[in-house]
Amino acid sequence: MLEIRSARKVFHRGQPDEKVALDGLDLKLATGEFAVVIGSNGAGKSSMLNAISGALVLDSGGIVINGDDVTALPVHKRAVRLARVFQDPMKGTAASMTVAENMLLAELRATKRTLRQGLNVKRLADYKERLALLGLGLENRLNTRVDLLSGGQRQSLSLIMAVGGKPDLLLLDEHTAALDPRTADIVMQATVRAVDALKLTTLMVTHNMQHAVDFGHSVVMLDAGKVRLEISGQEKADVTVADLIGHFAVKTDRMLLAS
Amino acid sequence: MDFIQTTVESFISLIPVTLAQSLILSFVVLGIMIPFRTLNFPDLTSEGAFPLGGCVCGVMLAAGAGPLTAIAAALVAGFAAGCCTAIIHLRFRIHTLLAGILMLTMLYSVNLRIMGKSNLSVFGQPTVFDWAPFMRPGFPASKIVIAGLIALVVFLVLNFYFKTEKGTAIRAVGANPDMAEAQGINVWAATIGGIGLASAFSATSGALMVQSQGFADVNMGLGILINGLAALMIGEAIVGKQTVLRQLAAPFVGAVVYYQLVSVCLAAGMPPPDLKLATGLFVLIMLAAPTLGRSRGPLPERETIRE
Repeated sequence: MLEIRSARKVFHRGQPDEKVALDGLDLKLATGEFAVVIGSNGAGKSSMLNAISGALVLDSGGIVINGDDVTALPVHKRAVRLARVFQDPMKGTAASMTVAENMLLAELRATKRTLRQGLNVKRLADYKERLALLGLGLENRLNTRVDLLSGGQRQSLSLIMAVGGKPDLLLLDEHTAALDPRTADIVMQATVRAVDALKLTTLMVTHNMQHAVDFGHSVVMLDAGKVRLEISGQEKADVTVADLIGHFAVKTDRMLLAS
Repeated sequence: MDFIQTTVESFISLIPVTLAQSLILSFVVLGIMIPFRTLNFPDLTSEGAFPLGGCVCGVMLAAGAGPLTAIAAALVAGFAAGCCTAIIHLRFRIHTLLAGILMLTMLYSVNLRIMGKSNLSVFGQPTVFDWAPFMRPGFPASKIVIAGLIALVVFLVLNFYFKTEKGTAIRAVGANPDMAEAQGINVWAATIGGIGLASAFSATSGALMVQSQGFADVNMGLGILINGLAALMIGEAIVGKQTVLRQLAAPFVGAVVYYQLVSVCLAAGMPPPDLKLATGLFVLIMLAAPTLGRSRGPLPERETIRE
């Protein structure tokens, strides 16, 4: 379960370029719920994910994961509970390390690291099995440095790393946006399979309205640092791409009027 | 022909002394490799940590401490110096190179304070090199055995450590700090500990050097960083850096080969004052090599040294 309580964050406070990134944002996500977040550029989507992961320190408000207030915890302590896949495939993996070493780092995300040998036969077999589910041949490249993989392979690896260990919360930050359509589809299908199988509480940011229509239990639309619209249940099941784009249009009209 | 013969003869006669010296200095090269390669934290602290270790060791020996105690004290002092550099960088967001220059400048005063004068003779004090079995103390062979043994142990321990769960996490911090943090690794702790460890090796090298040469001098670290970088690059050119094993072997192999090369140059009659210029040019050429042969187009954005 995730709860964001009136989160507020202002960048460059008191300067001419002051920007309110989060303006008393409230959001609740039930355990096992898969919510898709949409919104125009600058609506606060990335700021929200950063606030949840701890990369962004809030001015006020709080973040609660599974009933525990994590507002004061740094990124590496929150990592015990949440996993994140970034938009940039380079960001989520360690390029100069091997596929297996990256898998190891992810496996140890929530546990205490010991002075025991990191990669052993049992772990390698496990990684092989989990990577084989993707069908990209990564299972045969465990000892390949990650910088030799394609963007799609790296992103798929990031996803497998993130869903392993069943995190309390999965954050997907436009994780298919940098991929070609075919690879994006493979990664998206793998995402849905993992989220369904493990019943992960998931927050997915996307600019792809078709994805917002096809996937997830609810759609959350952000605007100017606030939740502008929440669609769930039967309404979500019936929503179309045109409907969602319509909501953007309303906002654009309002912006025109305001200016 | 005469020239070649005398050069070869004087080079061969210098091999044992040079080998002993290079094994002692291989720890500085290790102390340079860990920040530059493993942690992606270009660090100059070793230039100050090396004489720091020497001064601490010298003062301890002069005060009657055992050689091992003196080395341990130097190691702790070096660790503290490295931690300071890392904290200056992390807390105040000062560039790693500048943080290192600040530390090494301040360490010069600290070193003078520790010794109370600019040099200190500890000749005749017991050293770790006295403990080499079956050898007469003071000869290069005993230094080669002792320094070589320590180097072997350090190499094996680090090679094991960097493959453990903790060691893999430390390497991840160097490879991608954002990713490491997102995987629950405390980037601050890993950086401070790693840079501290590296400076501890540099200081240990200084301590061994003092025991080997019989005196400590505040100026003993002058240019050690560029020497170490040159050695590291030679080592990486020979053994590579693709795996943990190779990357760890590079400082030791590089130090041994580099100081023999220096010895060849000296034997061939190169005036010692020109040595730093030659070393500097060598490092420059090694760093510039990838960009030579391409006269047009923009230069790569990243510093070559961080590669």
